[in-house]
Amino acid sequence: MSVASPPATTRTARRASALGPGLVALCGVLALVAFLSVTQGSRDIGLSEVLHALRTFDDDGSIGSTITLELRVPRTLLGILVGAALGVAGAILQGVTRNPLADAGIMGINSGAAAFVVFAITVLGLRGVGVYVWFAFAGAIGALVLVYAIASLGREGATPVKLALAGAAVTAGLASVTTGIIMTNVDALNELRFWQVGSLAGRYAPILTGVAPFLLAGLVAALGFGRALNGLALGEDVAKGLGQHVGRTRMAAFAVVAVLAGAATAACGPIVFVGLVVPHVARFVCGPDYRWILPYSMLLAPIVLLLADVLGRVVAAPDELQVGVVLGVVCAPAFVAIVRYARLSEV
Amino acid sequence: MRVWRPILAVAVLGAALAGCGSNTDGGDAAPAAAAGPWSFTGGSGQVVKADKTPTRIIAHAGEAAALMSFGITPVGIYADESVKTDPNLKNLDLSGITILGEEWGKIDVEKAASLAPDLIVGDWWPAEKAHSGMEEGVDEKSKKLAELAPVTGVSQGKSIVELAEGYEDLAESLGAKVDSPEIAANKQRFEESVAKFKEAVAANKGLSVAAMSPADDKVYVANPEYAPELLDLQSWGLDVLNPESPDPGFPYWENLSWENADKYQPDLILWDGRSYTATANDEWGKKQPTWFKLKAAKAGATVAWPAFWLHTYGDFATELDKLTTAVKAADPNVGG
Amino acid sequence: MTITASTVDAMLRANRRRRNARSGVVLASLAVLVFALFVVTMMIGSFRIGALDVVASVLHLADNPSVDFVVRELRLPTAAAGLGVGLALGASGTVFQQILRNPLASPDFVGITSGAGLAAVFGIVLLQAGGLVVSGLALGGALLAATLMYVLAWRDGVTGYRFILIGIGIAAFFDGLIGFVLTRAQLFEARQAMHWLTGSVGQAGDTELRLLFGGLLILLPLAMLLQRPLRALELGDDTARTLGTRAELSRAALLGTALVLVALAVSVAGPIVFVALVAGPIANRLLGAATGGIVAAALVGAALLLAADLVAVHVLPTPLPTGVVTGAVGAPYLLWLLATTNRQGAGG
Repeated sequence: MSVASPPATTRTARRASALGPGLVALCGVLALVAFLSVTQGSRDIGLSEVLHALRTFDDDGSIGSTITLELRVPRTLLGILVGAALGVAGAILQGVTRNPLADAGIMGINSGAAAFVVFAITVLGLRGVGVYVWFAFAGAIGALVLVYAIASLGREGATPVKLALAGAAVTAGLASVTTGIIMTNVDALNELRFWQVGSLAGRYAPILTGVAPFLLAGLVAALGFGRALNGLALGEDVAKGLGQHVGRTRMAAFAVVAVLAGAATAACGPIVFVGLVVPHVARFVCGPDYRWILPYSMLLAPIVLLLADVLGRVVAAPDELQVGVVLGVVCAPAFVAIVRYARLSEV
Repeated sequence: MRVWRPILAVAVLGAALAGCGSNTDGGDAAPAAAAGPWSFTGGSGQVVKADKTPTRIIAHAGEAAALMSFGITPVGIYADESVKTDPNLKNLDLSGITILGEEWGKIDVEKAASLAPDLIVGDWWPAEKAHSGMEEGVDEKSKKLAELAPVTGVSQGKSIVELAEGYEDLAESLGAKVDSPEIAANKQRFEESVAKFKEAVAANKGLSVAAMSPADDKVYVANPEYAPELLDLQSWGLDVLNPESPDPGFPYWENLSWENADKYQPDLILWDGRSYTATANDEWGKKQPTWFKLKAAKAGATVAWPAFWLHTYGDFATELDKLTTAVKAADPNVGG
Repeated sequence: MTITASTVDAMLRANRRRRNARSGVVLASLAVLVFALFVVTMMIGSFRIGALDVVASVLHLADNPSVDFVVRELRLPTAAAGLGVGLALGASGTVFQQILRNPLASPDFVGITSGAGLAAVFGIVLLQAGGLVVSGLALGGALLAATLMYVLAWRDGVTGYRFILIGIGIAAFFDGLIGFVLTRAQLFEARQAMHWLTGSVGQAGDTELRLLFGGLLILLPLAMLLQRPLRALELGDDTARTLGTRAELSRAALLGTALVLVALAVSVAGPIVFVALVAGPIANRLLGAATGGIVAAALVGAALLLAADLVAVHVLPTPLPTGVVTGAVGAPYLLWLLATTNRQGAGG
C-alpha cells in the first residue's frame, strides 16, 4: 500500500463546481427511483390507484392502497436508508483502513451480527426481526471492537493490512461457531436462512421504525468525517503532522460504521457488494476528496439498491427475487473490474 | 450386494438364537411367520427374496409407523427429526426399539449393524430412484445401511391410499394378521372417514380449497401433483386448486410474493400442518398486511393439512375427520 | 585462515548432523502419533473395538464379519479421509506459506477453499449433483479461485500482503455467492450444503478417497523434490535469482502441486479451515532449526485433523462437522498469531 498523493487542490476546486449540481441531480434520480419502487412491483397496480393512495395516505381497505402504503412505502424508505447506510459505511471503512476491499463482510461485522442473532434464536429462543435488530447491532459492535483491538497492537497502530487480517480471522472463527450451532438446530437454520440472504421483502413499518433512528443518526454523523478521512488518506504520519488524532478518528469512524452496518444488517440481513462497489464508483466520479465521496456514496447506494430491488420484483413476478441475489449478479462483474483495474494503492 | 451376505448369515443366526418367540402361528390362512421362503416386490419393481421371513426389521419413520399399525414391530427406526416430534411416531410407544437416527441423512449404521437386521424398509422415491434415508445427499456412511440387509419399500407416488395398501401387503407378507379385528378396525375407520368426507364434499357444492404455507418472504401454494394426500382429496371430489405456474426448479410449490398473496381466492385454506397452530392465522394477519386480503384467511377458514407424511390408515382417518369438519363448516361463497 | 575455515566447516557439519538427528526423531514421533490416532479413530464409535482387532481387520489378518463390516466399511473410510486430507492440507499449507513468504498465506485463508466450496454447493443445490461430480466441481472451483487470484495479483508478482488482501476479498466474494446459492435451496439440501461447507471427514466417498491417495502418492514426493528450489526461494527473491534459480517457474510448479493437493482434499472433506494454516508453523517449531519440512508439516496436519475429528464426533454432545472444531480452535490461534506478530511490529 503506497501512500496516496495529496488531492490536487486546483482539480478539486474545478471539480467542486460540477460536483455540487451533480449531487442535486442524484437527489432527483433517487426520487425517481423511489417513485419507481412505489409504483412498480410483482403486482400490477394502476398508477392512478397508487397516486390516490399516496395522496390520501389512508389505507381504505382496497388491495391497491394496502400494498402501496403498507408494503411498498415502508420497503422503499427502508431501501433508501439501508442503501445510504451501507454506501457510507463502506466508504468510511475503505477510507479508514485504506483498503480497497474493506467491506462490512470482510471486517467481521456481518459475522458478528449473525453470531449474535443465532445466539438469540438458539440459546435465548427469541424470534422476530424486531429482536434481531438489537442482537445484530451488539454483534456488529463486538466484532469491530475485537478486530480493531487486535489490529491496533504494536507500535505502528492499526494499519490497513492488520485490520483486514484481524477481520478475516474473526470472521472465520465466528462463522465456524455459528455454523456449529446452526447445524444442531433445524429451526435456527430455517429462520436464519431467510435472514441471511439480504432482502427488503417482508420488512414493514415496525422494522422501519425500529432501525430508522439509528440509521438517521449514523448518516448525519457519517457526513462529518470527510475532512478526517482526507487526512488519513495522506498516510498516518502526515495526518498526525496535520494535527489529527488518528486513533480517536478511527474509533469514532468505527463506532459510526458499526451503527450503520449493524442496523442495516439487522433489518435486511447482510446485503453485500453495495458497500464495497458504490464507494469506488463515487471515488471515480469525485476524485479522492472524501467530503464529496461520502455524500455521493450516500445517494448512489440507495439508487443501486432500489433499482436492484425493483428489478427483482418485476422480472420474477408474481414471485420475487431477493435483492441480494440481484445485486450478486449485477455487482459481481463490477467487483472484479474494480479489483483488476482500479489503482488499488490510490485509496 | 455381495457385501451383506456374510452379515446376513450372522444376522439369521442371531435371529435364530434370539428365539423365534413371536412365531405363534395359529394355522389359519396367514403366511407362516419366520418360515420361508419369503419374497416381496418393492416399489422399485425389484423383488426381494429371503430363505426365511424377515423378523429383524429396520424401518424409516413413517414406514415403521405403518408396519407397527399392522402389529409388525421393527428392531430399529431411523427418522428425519426427533421421534418425539415426528408426526408419524410421536404418539407411538417406541420402547424396546433402537433409534438409529433423528436427523435427515444421518443413520448410525454401526448401531444398525449390531442389531443384525434382515430387512430394511424405506419408501421408494421414483424421482430420486432411492429409498428413504439413502437418497443422494445423505451422509456417505448412511448409504451403507443397504449393505446390512436387503432394502424394500412401497413407492411414494400419487396416493397415500396406495401407500397404505402397499404397507398392508408388506406387513401381511411378514406375517401380520391384517384381518384380525383390532388391526382391521383402522382400515374400517378410514373407509368410514372417506365416506363421510365424500359426503361432506358433495354437500358443500362449489367449495374450493388451496393448500398454502405462508413464510416470511413469500406465500407458497402447494402443487397437488407432488402431494399424494392432496391428489387423494381431489379424487374424492374436493376442488383442490392446481397453481398456474409452479416453481420450475422446485415444482412442489408456486411461490407468490406478498404483493400477490391474494392471487387465488379459495373458500378454505389447507394450511401446511408443519407450521399450523391454532393462533397462526391471526399472527400472520398481523404480521403481513396482505394475508387477510385472502378472504378465507380473513374469515378464519383454515385447517391443518397433513403435508407429506401420512403412511397409515389410522393417521389418515384422524386427519380426514378434521378436514371433514372444516369442509362442512366452510362457506363456499367466501372466496367468491 | 585455513584453520578457521575448517573449524567453521566442522561446526557446520556437526550442526547439520544435530539438525538431522532432531528432525529424524521428530518425524518418527509424529508418524507414531498419526498412526495411533488413525487406529483410535477406528476403535471408538457406537461400540468399542480393541486396537489389535482393528489392525487385524484392516490388514485382513482376522475373519470376523461383524467387526470387519464396522471397521472396513464404516470406520476405515473416515480414518483414511482424516489421514489423507490432513497430509494434503498440511503439505500444501506449508508450501503456500513458504512460497509466498507469509504465515497467513494458507489456501483456506486466501479464498481457494471458498472457490471449491462455491462450485460444490452450486453442484449440490442447482444441479442436484452428488458424489464424483461434486468433487470434480470442487476441483474446478479451487483451480478457478487460484487462477483468478494469480491473475489479479500478478502485476506486482505474488508476494506480500497484496496477494493476501486480494485473496481475502475473493474469499468474501465467494462466500457471499455461496449464501445466495444456499437460499435457493430447500431445507434438506441447505443442511447438506451447510455440512459440506464446514467440512467433514466423515462423508468421504470411495472414488474421491482413491483420487486423494493417488494424488498424495505422486504429489508428495514431487513436492519434496521441489524443496531445493523452495529453500532457495526462502532466502528471498533476489537472492534466489542471483543463485540462478528460475524463481517464477519454480514457484508456479510448487504452487500448482500444492493447489492440486488442496483441491483433492477439499473434494474429499469439504473446506476444512485452519489445518493448512497451522500445520506448517507447528512443524517448524517442533523441528527447531531445520524448518520447512513438507513431510513434517503433512504429518502435523494429519495428526491435527484426526484429533479434531475425534473431538467433533465423539467428545461433543452432538456430532458436528470436523470443520467446526478446527475453526473454533484455529481462529483464536490465528488471532494470537496476529496479536504477537503485531506486538513485535511485524504485522505489516
